[in-house]
Amino acid sequence: MALCEAEKTFILHSVEENFRIDGRQRGDYRPMELETNIVAPSFGSARLRLANTDVLVSVKLEIDSPTLEQPKLGKIEFFVDCSANATPDFEGRGGDNLATEISNCLSSAYKSSTAFDAGKLCILKGSKCWKLYVDILLLECGGNLYDAVSLAVKAALWDTRIPLVKSVVVDGNKVDMEVSDELFDCERLDVTGAPIMVTVCKIGDQCIVDPTTAEEHCSGGSVVVAVSKSNFSTILQTGGGSLHPMTLLESLKLGQTVAQRLDSTLINTLKQINDNSTDVGFLK
Amino acid sequence: MSKKKELVSKIGLRLDGRRADELRRVRCKMGVFSQPDGSAYIEQGLTKVLAAVYGPHQVRGNRSKAQHDSAIVNCQFSMAVFSTSERKKRPRGDRKSSEMSIHLRQALLAAIKVELYPWSQIDIYVEVLHADGGVYPACVNAATLALIDAGIPLKEYVCACSASLANNDIPMVDISHQEEMLGGPTLTIAALPMSEKIVLMEMSQRFHIDHLPKVMAKALKGCKDIKVILDEAVRSHVEDVGCSTGWSNTSQKIKV
Amino acid sequence: MSNKIHIGIASDRVNPSVALNQRVPKIYTPGEVITEQNELMRGHGTYEEDGCLKSSVAGLKEEVNKLISIKPLKSRYNGEIGDVVVGRITEVQQRRWKVETNSRLDSVLLLSSVNLPGGELRRRSAEDEHMMRKYLQEGDLISAEVQNVFTDGSLSLHTRSLKYGKLSQGVLIKVFPALIKRSKTRFHNLSVGASVILGNNGFIWICPTVNTEEESVGGFIQNLEYIVPIEEREIIARIRNCILALAQSKMMLFDTSILFAFEESKKYAVAELLLPEAMVDVALLTQQRLTLLENQ
Repeated sequence: MALCEAEKTFILHSVEENFRIDGRQRGDYRPMELETNIVAPSFGSARLRLANTDVLVSVKLEIDSPTLEQPKLGKIEFFVDCSANATPDFEGRGGDNLATEISNCLSSAYKSSTAFDAGKLCILKGSKCWKLYVDILLLECGGNLYDAVSLAVKAALWDTRIPLVKSVVVDGNKVDMEVSDELFDCERLDVTGAPIMVTVCKIGDQCIVDPTTAEEHCSGGSVVVAVSKSNFSTILQTGGGSLHPMTLLESLKLGQTVAQRLDSTLINTLKQINDNSTDVGFLK
Repeated sequence: MSKKKELVSKIGLRLDGRRADELRRVRCKMGVFSQPDGSAYIEQGLTKVLAAVYGPHQVRGNRSKAQHDSAIVNCQFSMAVFSTSERKKRPRGDRKSSEMSIHLRQALLAAIKVELYPWSQIDIYVEVLHADGGVYPACVNAATLALIDAGIPLKEYVCACSASLANNDIPMVDISHQEEMLGGPTLTIAALPMSEKIVLMEMSQRFHIDHLPKVMAKALKGCKDIKVILDEAVRSHVEDVGCSTGWSNTSQKIKV
Repeated sequence: MSNKIHIGIASDRVNPSVALNQRVPKIYTPGEVITEQNELMRGHGTYEEDGCLKSSVAGLKEEVNKLISIKPLKSRYNGEIGDVVVGRITEVQQRRWKVETNSRLDSVLLLSSVNLPGGELRRRSAEDEHMMRKYLQEGDLISAEVQNVFTDGSLSLHTRSLKYGKLSQGVLIKVFPALIKRSKTRFHNLSVGASVILGNNGFIWICPTVNTEEESVGGFIQNLEYIVPIEEREIIARIRNCILALAQSKMMLFDTSILFAFEESKKYAVAELLLPEAMVDVALLTQQRLTLLENQ
């Protein structure tokens, strides 16, 4: 979708006046909708809709061995798939670049041990650990993908339950372990520190959050910040364009405050979701 | 062959409690997304599929592909990496999914009235969210709903269903993943149920030719049953939208 | 600052349907027999097989004399001569522009079908051909009228009237074409203080009220310096959100429904109209007022 100069001008001025084309202020978010436990063959899952942006995340577990460099850490791996349902441009390998960009950003955001404690995923130092596969499926694109993906990932991790390991027997080089078969014998992951990503988009001389697709087209550069509690875990400048160091610092600040607000709203919502609510999925 | 489990018990029930000729529960919805021209979601048992249709639109990219007498139909089958109990390595691009795309296209081409749209292209994308047996049939059924949602002319519904033989004797319909694993051969057909034409037939493993007719008849019956369910869903969808718009822009209103 | 962030839970989702309880006409679905007579003519959405007229889409029957057609609720835009459309230029070719109009094929706008600056009767010279990109370039939005429908179904447009031409500052929204109510006027200067073009192709253009006398000379002028005042911005944004609310609930779009929705939406701030609950509320209230109006 290309925009003409006049439309861009209208958007540019609207950001300048702090009254965006849908009536939001620069720091406002569009309403979102969340559902957890939506994919059955997974240990945890979530679906987040942010206007038209639709993201489905699933978490699967496997037993793996830790790397030699980090024998005490479990593993977490992100995979993003841009479904052609979202736009025909994603057909075949069309969405691969975007997918890699998002998944790389996620892995670096989750790398820090304060953001996500991979040590909890270790079962036996140097020989057994859990590997989390976080698979993200993009079903529709309506702008602001990074934010939506990070929120959905956090919700899916919140929803994830890890089976209890009853016993580990070491016999020479062989390691035998027994995983509890009981359905309720499992523990939740601690994800309070899991990072939230916020895209701060520069339009004209101002910075906004949660850009629509049209606003993304007018952007003269944007920064994705991943914020865990109150610290940055990743900063990534995307989408071409160049930013003045002052603007950059300002946008980081904006990103940080917004991320903290997002985070607390998300946790509140997650606490409200009760486990026995009926599945809605795509049927309603 | 003592390992083979009885798929239908003495009182005529299958492992999940269905009767031999009973379909799994079908739930569906049209118009789940706003960006594509048509979209649909279907659940058959635990198998869940999303379908999106873009078009008919101008042929993209290589224009020399365009045909003067019909539309190009382009299908892509994709399976979410988390859709199976064992995580898949990649969502598409492997041989199995290319084959699925081709089969999907073959079945849908039989129904779409492509001759109405020269120089155009129709894109059909299906995304499997959960695979629990009968993936191909669910994809065909979802794609049919999405095409109807997009207002693309079809000769009639195209429906698909699988069937198998239990206990070497009893034909059963709509095979679940569990039954696929335990049981013997599975026959999948896609059909135009109103005119009873079969547009695609696929079979895995060995079948004795004597058994084929009754299994095929079962699968065809399954297609007809599915058509009834889809038709009901389409009618209630049209009704709901129509009642919101107040049936405007139709002769019903203009005549008054 | 009202920067509240809203994350709803899916199981609390409101149903956007505002369906009225009314008599449901006969619905046809693909493959269904419409009639067994064959002296009728088959129109769109129908085909003949085994001596029967059958439906090929899901929708309602329309009968004009002996021509029977089935109209689907949702489809790409099927242009008719005289329709007003809003479209986006996708390509500049020799002596013509390609325009995306949500049809199944790109529409064309011939250089000979536009009014060039300097008067209607000006000859089109070779120079004009080189200047085409200066008048309209890729991405530009235009309003135009359907002049002709070619045999392959593609449309030929013209802008040979002062009301058509290049669009300036404003907002474009897309809905499916069946939601646009057929009426004579497509250009509405709404009394609330903004202009709306309801393109038959489902593209809707909302912009500040234009002073038709002065501004549309040849229709290629864009004033990019002009800053739309905040009051007008608010009206445009409110109309935008109202139209999206109506479209989400599958309600017909025409001047009255948009005005009603606008009035009913007053109790919400503009940004609040993005909330699903508010959207359904506005749609419901609008539906009620329209029903009242109809019963009077």
